Amino acid sequence: MKYCNKCHISIKTNHNYCPLCHQTLEVTKDEEVVEKYPPYQGKLRPVKDITRKILMFISVTSIILLLVINFFTGLDILWSLIPIGSILYFWILMTVGIFSKHNIAFKLFILTITLIFFIYMIDELSSSEGWALNYVAPLLLGSCIIAISFIILIKRINYRDYITYLLLIVLFSIAPIVLILFDVITVLWPSLGLFVLAVFILLFIIFFFPKSIKDEIKKRFHA
Amino acid sequence: MPKQKINQDWFKLDNSAKIFPSVSNSSETNTFRVTVTLKEEVNVELLQEAVNIILERYPMFKVRLKKGIFWAYFDYNSKPFIVQKMDHRVCGEIIPIENNGYLFKVLYHHKDIAIEMFHSLADGGGVMQLLKSLVYEYLLLNRKPVTPDNIIATKNDKPEFEEYEDANAKYYNKKNRKHIPEEKAYRVKGTYLDDDQTGLISGVLNTKQMLELARKNDMTVTEYLTSVMMYIIYKTQIQYREHMRSNEKPVKIFVPVNLRKHFPSKTLRNFTNFIKTNMRMDKPDISFEEIKVLVKEQFSQGIKKEELIRKMSENVAFEKNVFLRMTPYFLKNYVLKIGFNMLGIKLNTMSLTNIGRTVFPESMKPYIYDVTAAIYAGKFNTIGCAIVSYEDKFKITFTRSIIENQIEREFFRHLTSQGLDIEIESNYVEEYS
Repeated sequence: MKYCNKCHISIKTNHNYCPLCHQTLEVTKDEEVVEKYPPYQGKLRPVKDITRKILMFISVTSIILLLVINFFTGLDILWSLIPIGSILYFWILMTVGIFSKHNIAFKLFILTITLIFFIYMIDELSSSEGWALNYVAPLLLGSCIIAISFIILIKRINYRDYITYLLLIVLFSIAPIVLILFDVITVLWPSLGLFVLAVFILLFIIFFFPKSIKDEIKKRFHA
Repeated sequence: MPKQKINQDWFKLDNSAKIFPSVSNSSETNTFRVTVTLKEEVNVELLQEAVNIILERYPMFKVRLKKGIFWAYFDYNSKPFIVQKMDHRVCGEIIPIENNGYLFKVLYHHKDIAIEMFHSLADGGGVMQLLKSLVYEYLLLNRKPVTPDNIIATKNDKPEFEEYEDANAKYYNKKNRKHIPEEKAYRVKGTYLDDDQTGLISGVLNTKQMLELARKNDMTVTEYLTSVMMYIIYKTQIQYREHMRSNEKPVKIFVPVNLRKHFPSKTLRNFTNFIKTNMRMDKPDISFEEIKVLVKEQFSQGIKKEELIRKMSENVAFEKNVFLRMTPYFLKNYVLKIGFNMLGIKLNTMSLTNIGRTVFPESMKPYIYDVTAAIYAGKFNTIGCAIVSYEDKFKITFTRSIIENQIEREFFRHLTSQGLDIEIESNYVEEYS
């Protein structure tokens, strides 16, 4: 036990100054005590690591450089968007795909959707032959659906978390049919195949997991 | 409000909880801590076991926060809850991802068992009940002959529907919801500590002496300590500098009121409102007597039923606003954040919360040394004060996010000058700041 004769308080501590006035404490009873609060342990959250900083620096400078070069070589072809898109997709892949702690269905969903937009942009900026929407998008969506379905089948524990993303990707898979109606998609079989798969999965969910869907919708849409 | 089923595995956020996820960050953490100090060292394995048992009893806390389209919600969390060793952080930010998604922590340190809770999930009253149950189960596992005596909810009780209710919405009165605009408050300035550091100083008083002192002044303990606080802020921060522009703003102390004492409700979720003292300190010679009269008057005004219902309804009406409800969640997040940073946070100088007397069953008392509460201190409200009493120990805990500690010093010196004996506890933040 120690005593501060300036503040007139007693304190149990191994420190030798008063926490209120910082004056030396008087020892009334010499004893070793356990501090009430733990000592400082240094920064508990690490600062952004150096690799990340370097990559960030390179990305930002190259984006600026690409834009400047594109500007001086004429703006009628925006070729710089392709490497810039690749850089951005690299960051999405790193942050969402690898380092985030979200569940795998969420990662697959985000990566697939962003990849489709990126591929579509490449197609439009190059020769715009329409291969992105005709072939790549339906096949990507299809593989995403199959992947998530398999994960749900294998890992049954957390299927409630995954089912929302499966549902979302199924909804996205119906979009190519709409694009067929507007003549954007000219090759029919990939989109039609995807549509059949999506409807099949949707009916499967509706017949076998009706309550999960209802609960998920109620949860996510309450206002 | 539609009835919720008892075995359901997700919960809506209650009215006061809705704001916190949007406005919390590493400096404004919106967490608070309640600690029970036992008389012997804590056994970590038994504590972990007790937590596992108790989480089955309180499904309301076995949740994580998820974002919906319009509002966030609490969803059942299937991951295990893990107790942690207490570190130097006091009421630090609760990062769900580091915590298996849980919004609270159970910490241990020598003889202490502490719960650090994110304010969205529960208020002081709710956490106190959780902590009591936890300590009870812990002592039981430790083969101590303890009995619940109808004070403590044990693992064998069935959770009641009432524990989950959003009591604010229940007492909402459409006719009494007038919004009264408020002025910005005076702010205690200082040199900031780092985000992960908080200064903590508690004073342990004798409950009887404290009650007598308050009674001698013809006030309740909360009223008396609030007046002392106002007076000390005036003495240390404003006096003889009252002409400065930043000192013209009124000093406002935010005192939470536990509404369970005023309205019949057993909810564990947020059910608090507040009284606010408000005084413009623009004279060089304000006396303590003057402040006491004003505080007493403002407390009696604030505690009136109509006033409490008005404040409650004002918040609920805001939540029920059709435009706000129909805004998607990510936009709402920004609206709430900007609104709160512009208005909400600047309306108080500090909070002073009195959790009150903690009651344990007679059979548990031999094992419990004392109880401590602490609230976070942020960038605007740089100082916070939490008060809790157990038996003859009356504990006032200050937390601060600045290095300067004149307010604490003068506060405790004021109390010692009234003849009270005080024992100080501190985390000695000056050692490493």
